[in-house]
Amino acid sequence: MIVYNKKMLDNEVLRDEADVLYKGGFISKEQKKFIEKELSVLKSQNNILVRIGFFLLGCLLFLSICGAISVFGLQTEERAYLQICCYLFAVVGFIGAELLSAKNYHNHGLDDAFILGALLNLGIAIAISTEGYEAVIAFFVALGALFMFLRYLHLPSMLVFCLAATAFLFFGMFEFGDIGKAILPFTAMLFAGIFYFLTKKRISDIKENYYYNGLLLANSFCLVLFYLSCNYLVVRELSMELLGTEVKPGTDIPFAFFFYVFTFVVPVVYLVQALKTKDRIMLWISFLAIGFSIYTIRFYYSVLPIEVALTLGGVVLFAIAYFSIKKLKEKESGLTFKPDRINHTDNFLNAEALIVASTFGMKPEVKTVSPMEFGGGGFSGGGSSESF
Amino acid sequence: MTKFDEQTAQKLFDKNLITENQFKEIKAYRALHIFSLNTELKLFLYLSVLLFTSGIGILIYENIDTIGHIAILSLLLIVIAVCFYYCFKNSKGFQKSETSFEHPVLEYLVLAGNILTCIFIGYLQFQYKPFGEHYGLATLVPTIISFFCAYYFDNKSVLTIGVTGLAAYVGLSVAPQDLLNNNDFYASQNLSYSAVMLGVLLILWTIYSNRISLKTHFNLIFLTFALHIISIAAISNLTNYDTMTWIIFAVIMASSIYYFYKASYDNKSMSLYVFMIVYGYIGANMFLFRIFENVDFSAIWELFFFLLPAYFIGSIVLFIKLIKKFNKEITE
Repeated sequence: MIVYNKKMLDNEVLRDEADVLYKGGFISKEQKKFIEKELSVLKSQNNILVRIGFFLLGCLLFLSICGAISVFGLQTEERAYLQICCYLFAVVGFIGAELLSAKNYHNHGLDDAFILGALLNLGIAIAISTEGYEAVIAFFVALGALFMFLRYLHLPSMLVFCLAATAFLFFGMFEFGDIGKAILPFTAMLFAGIFYFLTKKRISDIKENYYYNGLLLANSFCLVLFYLSCNYLVVRELSMELLGTEVKPGTDIPFAFFFYVFTFVVPVVYLVQALKTKDRIMLWISFLAIGFSIYTIRFYYSVLPIEVALTLGGVVLFAIAYFSIKKLKEKESGLTFKPDRINHTDNFLNAEALIVASTFGMKPEVKTVSPMEFGGGGFSGGGSSESF
Repeated sequence: MTKFDEQTAQKLFDKNLITENQFKEIKAYRALHIFSLNTELKLFLYLSVLLFTSGIGILIYENIDTIGHIAILSLLLIVIAVCFYYCFKNSKGFQKSETSFEHPVLEYLVLAGNILTCIFIGYLQFQYKPFGEHYGLATLVPTIISFFCAYYFDNKSVLTIGVTGLAAYVGLSVAPQDLLNNNDFYASQNLSYSAVMLGVLLILWTIYSNRISLKTHFNLIFLTFALHIISIAAISNLTNYDTMTWIIFAVIMASSIYYFYKASYDNKSMSLYVFMIVYGYIGANMFLFRIFENVDFSAIWELFFFLLPAYFIGSIVLFIKLIKKFNKEITE
């Protein structure tokens, strides 16, 4: 099923490992260079900026090919052409992906453009044919995305597959009318839970690592879906949207207590579990989940005014970080504050300066708009910007 | 993942690509099962500074008439003093090369102290107008303080605040989100020229600091700002009606692209290189468009549609070559 040469895929893993070991200071630069010369690999882009650049170029190329086809098509039989044009474009995307993979492009940006373009056009094509029947669209997009993942080992396709499969579940439940909509949170929760353990089992069973990253992505997706499925905010807003029920003051949605407990227990469980099993992805999901839970509460109850909440939140977070660092600073193994020689990423630390510039950068004087409107990072720096 | 990591190291060893000693060392290190929270905890510190200072900023803004001014000012001053007291106490003093604090918390205290100082001066100016009507001065003072802190404590985040302050003094907003959806440059011609001047100034400063080897790791930040400021100013002026103006900016664009092509090789910076190419590509296309805009293509516009894919394939091949060349040179 995999279109790429397996030897090259193996080499890619070895090369990445050599890179990691070099950065960790285990092997010398000459050794790393020698390894890179010995092992031939696929053409891929590790730099995310370059990959995005090639993705955009690929999109332009894809669009221009579609445009050229349309010039032909519209001149011959306009109505019929409009019916089938998106199928044609999807085929163009597929052919492009096939050609690029034959030339050993993998995770390069160009192939991303063609694969995702094919999936998008497949969805639009089926939407045109079925006149917007959501469940069918979701089903075929999921099928297409799964195929793309299995054949080209394309991770974004796996994400599309997860989203489309979830959408299929949702729209499928809508078919059952109001009962389906009412039990939707529980169905989604069950679905996410079952698939979490299935993918986890599969990960521990696989012998070869080609599909490892995709399974890991699906596994993490299940964690996120599980949390969101019974989050109080999501359930309440969705039930208002779908069932049209209105929550009057003094009343609450059915099973409100359960959803409240769920909203707060699940992130904590994730956090504890992540620290116990040393699972970094789960750790990050738990951070985000805790953040979203706080947002959930603030969405309905203004416990504190926003400025006090921000200031106090800052102080509390600072205290947590400070004492954790103090506790972990001297530890040499297990849970520690010392940078890991192997899995150390400081991408975020590089982005830090950029975020500071965008939230606290100073603006020139004479501004008609109040600088305070920029949400959380309100203060816009040096002085005279406040002179209105 | 650990399962496969062990295997890969083993495979490298089997292929005789790493020595036995190295393999043993790697194995021993992995056996420690290190799970480092370094990035996460630093992120927490950073978030806490952002939350706290935003909170204080809003607090002052909302209650500007209710709480006593003196109370707010003195409270701010105390917090600032505490921040800087710890920073100065633990700093190793000014150094020309890259330094860092013993304790990571201090780096974030510098940031907090600096942002609070900016708030303090802004509030002071709003309420008591110590700088009178010289609003430029009220921007310049926090800028100078930011640059001092950035150079003394070696802090990149504070440095970016300083650069945005400098640009604000000239009359520009160079916060990333404003650069992306700016309209300032269309409004006034002079602003574009001062933007280019600011960019050139930043470049000259990097050249000078290289010569006296003063905090050379800051150069990348200065160059990044310079590239974006100059390129965006030039691109938005390429659409100008006046023939003279857009030709001037086309020349500026071309020379800045040439300079940054060299600079990205010197600094071995991929991000600089990529953005240089992107701006160059946009600029070149606009230039072509401007040249052909008076030619009448209505007879052969269909041909244009068929040429377009070929044009994109051509540019893709060119970019792949450029990137490959760059990658090859910086690894050597």
